[in-house]
Amino acid sequence: MVSAISIIAIGLGAAFLLGLMREGREALAHALTVLALGAMSAVAVGWLWLLGPGGAAVQEITTAGTMPPFAINLRVGLTEAVALVMITLAGLASALHMRAVLLRMGRRAMAVLLIAVMALAGIVMTRDLFNLFVFFELAAISTGGMVLLSDDEDALGAGFKYMIVAQIVSILLLIGIIFAYHATGSLNIDDMGGLAAMGGGAALAVFLVVAALVLETKPFPANGWALDIYQAAHPGFSAILSAGTGTAALIAVDKFAGAGGAALAPVLTGLGLLTFVAANLLGLAQTNDRRLLGYSSVAQTGLILAVIGQREALGESYLLIAGGLLVGHAIAKAGLFWLSGLVKGRDLTDWATLRRSPLLVFAMATFLAMLLGLPPFPGFYAKWALVHGLVASGGGALVALVLIGALIEAGYLLRWFGFTMKREASEAVASTPAELALVLAVALAGWGAGWIWGEVGPYENLLRAPALLLALAFLLLDWLPARVKNVAAIAALIGGFAASFASYDPLQMIFAAIIMPGGAVILLASFYEHGRRVGFYPSAMLMFAGMAMLIVAQSSFGFFAAWEVLTVGSYFLILRGKYSEPHALSYVLFSLGGAFAIMAGFALASGGMANFTMAALAQVPLTLAPWVFILLALGFMTKTAAIGLHIWLPGAHAEAETDVSPMVSGILLKAGLFGLMVLMLQMGSPSLYGVKLTYVLLWIGALTALIGNLIAAFQEDAKRLLAYSSIGQMGYAIFGIALMNHLGWLMALMFVINHYIYKSMLFLSVGGVAKRTGTRLMYKMGGLIALMPLSFIAVLIGIIAMSGVPPLSGFGGRWIFYNAIMESDARAPMIVIFLSGPIAFLYLFRLIHSIFLGQLKDENRRLREAPFWIVLPQMLYTAFLLVFAVVPGLALRRVDGYLSTIFPEHGLNWDGLTIRSDYGYWSPVSVMAVTVGIFASVLLLLVLLNHRAQKVKQFNIVYSAERPFRPETTHFAWNFFAPYRKALGFLLAPLATTFWDGVTGSLHGAADFLRRFYTGDGQHYAYHVLGFVLVLILIVGGGL
Amino acid sequence: MDFQWIKVAYALLTLFIVLNYGLLMTAVIQKMGARAGRRYGIRVYQNYIDLLKNYVLRSKITHGYMYYLGPVFRLTGGIGLLLFVPTIYGSEMWANFSFSGDLILALYFVFFGTLGMALGAGESGHPLSALGVSRGLSQVTSAELPFAIAVFAVALQYQTLSVTEIVAAQQGGVMSWTLFTNPFAVAAAMLGFLGSMMRAPFDVVLAPQEIPIGPPTEFHSAYLALLQTNRNIFPVAKIVIYMNLFFGGAASWPVFGIKVFLLYLVSAFVGVAFPRFRVEQSVRFFLIWGVPLAIVGLYWV
Repeated sequence: MVSAISIIAIGLGAAFLLGLMREGREALAHALTVLALGAMSAVAVGWLWLLGPGGAAVQEITTAGTMPPFAINLRVGLTEAVALVMITLAGLASALHMRAVLLRMGRRAMAVLLIAVMALAGIVMTRDLFNLFVFFELAAISTGGMVLLSDDEDALGAGFKYMIVAQIVSILLLIGIIFAYHATGSLNIDDMGGLAAMGGGAALAVFLVVAALVLETKPFPANGWALDIYQAAHPGFSAILSAGTGTAALIAVDKFAGAGGAALAPVLTGLGLLTFVAANLLGLAQTNDRRLLGYSSVAQTGLILAVIGQREALGESYLLIAGGLLVGHAIAKAGLFWLSGLVKGRDLTDWATLRRSPLLVFAMATFLAMLLGLPPFPGFYAKWALVHGLVASGGGALVALVLIGALIEAGYLLRWFGFTMKREASEAVASTPAELALVLAVALAGWGAGWIWGEVGPYENLLRAPALLLALAFLLLDWLPARVKNVAAIAALIGGFAASFASYDPLQMIFAAIIMPGGAVILLASFYEHGRRVGFYPSAMLMFAGMAMLIVAQSSFGFFAAWEVLTVGSYFLILRGKYSEPHALSYVLFSLGGAFAIMAGFALASGGMANFTMAALAQVPLTLAPWVFILLALGFMTKTAAIGLHIWLPGAHAEAETDVSPMVSGILLKAGLFGLMVLMLQMGSPSLYGVKLTYVLLWIGALTALIGNLIAAFQEDAKRLLAYSSIGQMGYAIFGIALMNHLGWLMALMFVINHYIYKSMLFLSVGGVAKRTGTRLMYKMGGLIALMPLSFIAVLIGIIAMSGVPPLSGFGGRWIFYNAIMESDARAPMIVIFLSGPIAFLYLFRLIHSIFLGQLKDENRRLREAPFWIVLPQMLYTAFLLVFAVVPGLALRRVDGYLSTIFPEHGLNWDGLTIRSDYGYWSPVSVMAVTVGIFASVLLLLVLLNHRAQKVKQFNIVYSAERPFRPETTHFAWNFFAPYRKALGFLLAPLATTFWDGVTGSLHGAADFLRRFYTGDGQHYAYHVLGFVLVLILIVGGGL
Repeated sequence: MDFQWIKVAYALLTLFIVLNYGLLMTAVIQKMGARAGRRYGIRVYQNYIDLLKNYVLRSKITHGYMYYLGPVFRLTGGIGLLLFVPTIYGSEMWANFSFSGDLILALYFVFFGTLGMALGAGESGHPLSALGVSRGLSQVTSAELPFAIAVFAVALQYQTLSVTEIVAAQQGGVMSWTLFTNPFAVAAAMLGFLGSMMRAPFDVVLAPQEIPIGPPTEFHSAYLALLQTNRNIFPVAKIVIYMNLFFGGAASWPVFGIKVFLLYLVSAFVGVAFPRFRVEQSVRFFLIWGVPLAIVGLYWV
């Protein structure tokens, strides 16, 4: 293999060669540049191959035929090889990407690019401190030069500011080197281990060198100069700056970290995390895409700096973490900068032009997912390992900071993605095939990196999970017509269920049944959609895959990964709704926040162990158990939209597409319930300060039920009404689970089935009606019963089942509920749940009345029944509900038997047709028979008396001898429960919304305040750097 | 307790007795109300005349299927409620179809007729019907609260959901009635009772005196006859539940007659003494007075 020093030699040689060329041969010069960068990349990749899979030893390169410290030496280990590959490939790709600019600027610019890449490679490889300084200088000068390549008018200023600050940094570094040499008599970094402890100004040396190197990573707040560069430079170069320069600076810090000793660790960690949180906060306030990417780069670099600081604590997983973050960030950021080169405008909303090209959207989504550490990318494994490592070493506060920072980052990155998907797109993005290929290649490299991290890490490789692969396969099928894909999706769901059928226990079986066959039934409605429906199927299948993986997950890692997968899938799915941009964002932020809580909970429970089985949750020490319980329950309750965490749900469910609403309501919500059930199955009910946590959950469930139902009663929008009703229903389910007895769980499981059926059915009916009427506002409808009889029947059966009125299956749920609470001592929350019960009647009646009964409007007179494919699943559900009403034993009996293995006491007795509990009895068949018998007799009587009743026209009603004027004024629907609002309206104060608005408001406020630091004045930036160093002296000095 | 065909005959007989008793009793009580207002009042058999008249009226229109079925739902609700609860304690035959389900069935079956009727009224398209439903649902759901909590308190007290067993537990003298063992729960339940009897101060739902407001606005002839039939059965069925839960049940038809009459009289007394609440006032009333009493009753157990 060629020596790695040839990377430097090739770069330098080619740059000189360019200098010798004649003017006017730009194309040739560019070819030479690309060739040189290609050769450099090839060497780097070759070494990575040798050192990684090849298992070769670390390569030491000596120069001048002399051993160090008398000559400079270079070193290439695995870390260096990875960094070299990223730097050289970023250089190569940028050279291709910037072809037009480079041709215009001429060979000198190309030489500068080569020098920049070469210098960065040198920083990575060299082991000599002064040589490091030289390479930094070269990098600084070439960076300054490259900035000028941009068309941006601010580029000159930005480059100048950069040069000023770079000189200050250089001076610091140089003085530091002098002191280091004075103390050790050597310039070799390897001789400086334990430098801090030596005399002769060694402490000062360490301080100055570290300060300089840290400044190269652009820490907050001394980074205004760098941000201006990101904003003003050509995006091709920004990619190098982000992927290459950042990487090189971090490697340099890592190299020198050993010299600083133990005292350095907290400083690096503190600076890193401060930067991570502050830069992300500032990212919130950005509207310029490149500046936003700059802040994100600064933040990610800060995070890695913190990881370097925690190197000792993280132990073996250090490389996995630091590497995962570094590689993930480099690929994603380079990709995003190149993408930004394709977008004309600089405002974040201008990215909407990408939307016309699904491939570019795929690339952008990949990059954002990598930055956010979503599965299956390297950052995901890294974040998981980082949180576990930090928790194991007692760094709980650090975990909190990391997660808060990450959540803020998710906030602005996904808001940006929302803009891209939802804002007005003026014209399609004009990209050449080469540019497109470049971006796609980088995105695929990201997937490749995900595969590698999955393989080398101690965890399962997610890209080997069959369910996930199946879902990803739909990406490849996305060019097919929607109906073909729909068949494939239904087949995949049914096939998946059939394949795993035998391996489920009854608990898993219930959830699996509603996820897979249940999902397939909902997908029947999707046959209604024409065209290609790009993006729908990968998202939906991703969600289903996540759900399917969740219920069978054995390890905490598998569980969490599945959780993230289903979150990501459902986010894309929800985002598809026409007006769902803010709601999808709110959904995904709550979900990610919840996911972080789950991750922290698992980390706490496992004590940092990489492979922690779910069953081991039962063995968590008593001191930790309540905290683990709280974190996990909090995470799961973001998904079930428990009170306080519920504000995302109404918008997300209401604005979603017709067939998506039932999926995210009927199926997705159950993920949270499943999590809670698994949690309590393993951990029981831990106490904190003497309070049983399940008792707290009872309260949460009861209040959620009350508020959800109450708000539902006051909605004018039919889908929002159903959405709030879901919140209430989930409250009931949480209440049932938290009762922690046999019947409570039976009720919750029955809710899982029932809620899936009637909520899917109602969302489809309402969706079908909304499709026909063009509105979701109920008071604009009315009298549709004659025009849409099937939809009406579905809603009728749905609301009877939901309200618990006998003889349909909802009553079974109520009956079990009453029996379940008979065993509980918790009476106070019970009262609240009693309050919420009857309110369901209010909103259910309103739903059916305002839409189907009352007065038909003129504009609706020609409406037809909802489309066949939307009606079909409703009819299936209706049939099922009727059957389930008579023979609930079909499903219940098996579940009851299974629950007896968990809660042996107080089960049900199946006594012929009668079901008995310890307290009462219920005979579904008799109830149905008696009811039907009486109903039929009375009906017969009426028909006998009244069989010649004449159907009259709409306005033929008793109206004080007047004729009603028009349907709009005759249809009593708007503000239907006005008296109720007068009496109880005070309960509707949007406390949760106000609270979360306050949180986001203060974050934005803080961001706006912080950004005042960045005046754009070079002098100020120089002061910042000096001030930063001064403060650092005070902190370190005080600490020493 | 199982089904035998002879039970159908007993059920029909129960229905017959209760209907006639209801017709006479409501007339008597209406007369008493009139006398309290210094009027003469209706004749005792007036209800029969009204009912017969409506059954034979010939003007017949319909607004649609749901409208047609509304009164059927309503009457099925009333009859079902009556037959799902044991009428006479200690008699297997007069327990009718109570083998189908326990107290919870009765509690939820109340809504069967309400919901069906509301739907029928809705299809008539009359705004005043819908207005009545809005008022009725708002009021009845809040009146239901003290009752439901009180019922639960009683179930906890006797550790059963079976109506028969609850009555059994109250045997052995007046002092073992729930009325005396848990007076708060009974007080709360009785407030709920007032709220569901459609008399003042909670009668704004139907408001029959001024203008024809309320769910039945559009119903006439045979429809109205079915509703009237129900008006004589349903309150009795409800009172049977109260009697069983709180007042020791009835071991014979004469005791049944007396207890039902007295309980019905309570609502009539309150009705003539108090003016009418607006709906939001009644909602607040039940929450402020009914629910706390019920809660005390619940903790009393």
